[in-house]
Amino acid sequence: MTFRTRLLVVFTLAVVASVGMVELLVTRATREAFERVERQHADALVAQFQREFDRRGQEVVRAVKDIALSDAAVSVAISADNSAYYNEASGMARAHGLGLLELVGGDGAIVSSAEWPVRFGYVEDWLAAPSGWKPGTAFLRREELPDGFTLALVAVEAVNAGGRQLYVAGGQQLDQDFLATLVLPAGMRVLLYRNLEPQFAPHLLAGSADVAADAQEFQPLIEQVIHERRPRVATLGSGAAAETVHAQPLTGVEDNLLAVLLIASSRRELVELENSLGRTGAWVAAGAILTGMLMAAWATARVTRPVRRLAESAGQVAAGNWNTTVEVTSRDEVGQLAQAFNRMTHELVEQRQRLLQTERVAAWRELARRLAHELKNPLFPLQITVENMQRARESHPQEFDEVFREGSRTLLAELANLKQIIARFSDFAKMPAPEMQPVNLNALVGETMKLFEAQFAQARVTARAELAPDLPTVSADPEQITRALRNLVLNAIDAMPEGGTLTVRTMPQGSGARLEISDSGKGLSQEECERLFTPYYTTKTHGTGLGLAIVQSVVSDHHGRISVESQPGKGATFRIDLG
Amino acid sequence: MEVRASIETADPPQLGPGMPDLAPAFSITRWEAGRRAIYAADENAPGGRPFLDTVEVELARPSRDQAIDLDVGKADLIEIPASEARRQPAGRRTWVSQPVRVLLLLFGARVDDPRAREALALAVDRTAIFNVLLQRQGEISGALLPQWLSGYAFAFNAASDSARARGLAASLPAPARSFSIGVEDSALRPIAERIALNARDAGLAVTLSPQAGAADVRLLEVRITAADPAHALAAIAATLGLPVPPRADSPDALYNAEHGLLDGFRVVPLFHLADVYGVAARVRGGPGISPLGEWRLENVWLEGGRP
Repeated sequence: MTFRTRLLVVFTLAVVASVGMVELLVTRATREAFERVERQHADALVAQFQREFDRRGQEVVRAVKDIALSDAAVSVAISADNSAYYNEASGMARAHGLGLLELVGGDGAIVSSAEWPVRFGYVEDWLAAPSGWKPGTAFLRREELPDGFTLALVAVEAVNAGGRQLYVAGGQQLDQDFLATLVLPAGMRVLLYRNLEPQFAPHLLAGSADVAADAQEFQPLIEQVIHERRPRVATLGSGAAAETVHAQPLTGVEDNLLAVLLIASSRRELVELENSLGRTGAWVAAGAILTGMLMAAWATARVTRPVRRLAESAGQVAAGNWNTTVEVTSRDEVGQLAQAFNRMTHELVEQRQRLLQTERVAAWRELARRLAHELKNPLFPLQITVENMQRARESHPQEFDEVFREGSRTLLAELANLKQIIARFSDFAKMPAPEMQPVNLNALVGETMKLFEAQFAQARVTARAELAPDLPTVSADPEQITRALRNLVLNAIDAMPEGGTLTVRTMPQGSGARLEISDSGKGLSQEECERLFTPYYTTKTHGTGLGLAIVQSVVSDHHGRISVESQPGKGATFRIDLG
Repeated sequence: MEVRASIETADPPQLGPGMPDLAPAFSITRWEAGRRAIYAADENAPGGRPFLDTVEVELARPSRDQAIDLDVGKADLIEIPASEARRQPAGRRTWVSQPVRVLLLLFGARVDDPRAREALALAVDRTAIFNVLLQRQGEISGALLPQWLSGYAFAFNAASDSARARGLAASLPAPARSFSIGVEDSALRPIAERIALNARDAGLAVTLSPQAGAADVRLLEVRITAADPAHALAAIAATLGLPVPPRADSPDALYNAEHGLLDGFRVVPLFHLADVYGVAARVRGGPGISPLGEWRLENVWLEGGRP
């Protein structure tokens, strides 16, 4: 992945993360605000319910008190035979707007019941109990009706007349009519579960319009509130149909839990708002990400352009074009880097020129030294021979012919030696261009090894060839490669004056081939390895120092690579890779 | 003379229960089904022409409206339900018959376990109903024939026994503890409701059925139509669909016959009720009803009317 791509990815991720964070924060803030408002609505509804509850309670108390103070009630109270009044409560209840009304004698027996007229004579124990009710206050009570139990807001007053007592117990059912009087904000509803049976019963859950159709959904929450006897809040349902439900326990005069008030707030608005925010956020995010990517692409291109130029220039330097420079377009760190690069390449070129000059001088000196050395060796016998011939001519003329013949042979031999030396230098100078053709290195190795068999025997060298059967052919000049191989074999024989083992290996190397020549000689030091291919350098007491230089020249002309691996005392391995 | 009545009659008019029978002194001249019947004096009546020229009977009139009609002079004779008999204004004249209506429970074939029938019979608190709902009008009774007619009605048990009723109900399988009660006359509905309440206390589940004919038990009112007890008992049995007992020539035989009808609690008599009529002050003569509650308007005239 390029630097520019990485920068682009980093910038894009930064934009996406930022947009996502903003979206998350906005959504969370919206949700918190909505839930705060929803809690306020729920609290307001609970307060409204309580006010309505209190207001209805006061109405019930007032109506019951009015009935208790009426002449009709007094008549019932003082009547010795109140069987004639069994229907009295119905009229009284209608007149005072009560849904429930019972006139109960001092003995607790019902004289008249508006809600269940035929229940006359039955005893209401709770009216005679000290803690059963409080005068002047309304309270929740479980009341029995012909069709079952109901929950009612009840008040009781006692009438004392003529030494007789009559209880007036009246109230209103806490049902859907009561709930319908509550003013609900949009999206909210109020339900009342009347805890009239030991187990949860769906029909006891009333909404402001009808029995709640989704009563079963509320069951766990209602049972929890009944069990814990404290308010709870829960979210019921899922998605847009979900509701946040505030459940409030309602207790009776004896602190018995008679009902659970449920204020349900629809989360549809929140879900729709969140969806809307999500959609808008997605568009904004997409736009922001696109814009961010474009800007990031522009910025990264601007930032990486000089770096890329610098990298390209460095590549050119690595390829040998040391004169490469980069354009300095800014004064920032990248500009300073470009300036440093330019200075570096300038220094490299100068150092290279100085080095070349130095090497050239050194080469000439080495050449001169080697020439002097090589030429001096045959010149000395020449001089001695000529001087011997002169001395024989002057001192022993009778032996001159013999000395002359001997001296002439010596002179010719040394002159031939001089010609050979000159021919070697001439050959190195005239290295021809290779004529490429497909070459099987195994065949060349075999031929060469066969050629050297006599020398191997004379030098007590054991030769081994480890040739790869699947070696591919390479494009090479067989003459030059053979020449290089011979030089390396000769070099190896020379490295083992006491005899040893010479191993030649071939093996596939990528799409090309590798040729290795190993000896078990005395090895080379690190410095010797580094200077080994320098022309005219030799570690031997004889030779021109051109053998390995010629090998390197051949390999170089074949666009190959030669290296040496050696340690003192452990032999040396020359390795040639050809493509 | 105008009479208000809450009786519902058949159409076309015919004699029988529920249809005022003013013959032979009066003959019907106009009939509006379920609303009104107008009778005219028969000039050739066997006992001579009655004093009244016409008698107009308005049917299906609520009791409360009847009372108002009587108070404002729009009616001269009204029916008074038993529950209202004691509430009549002071000085109001009433014509009261003998207890001639038997209020009873009649079990249908579905309630085939006699323990269930007996449990309900013993659960009914007749005294409370008599004191409150009937305002002590009529008689509590466990017999089909009233005491004034048979002389032995007191011998039939009419007391409730809630403990035994609960025991019997507890011995029943659950399905047998539930049945419906039907009542045809809406005026009797409070009594049916109270019976259902008593039954619940005994462990029975009795519900009021909107269709009286299809109910397991029916609360009925059967009228005594004969002054002869044997004839009356036979007529009651026939009305209730019970086997008509053989002709009883002695009180013992009659008692046994009636006892035989009540065995098994297929029929449970509750009360004997009288017919009570409120009479306007200008009505003279009479009484206009017989001991059996039949109208006898041929001897009645109106003050200020034609001589």
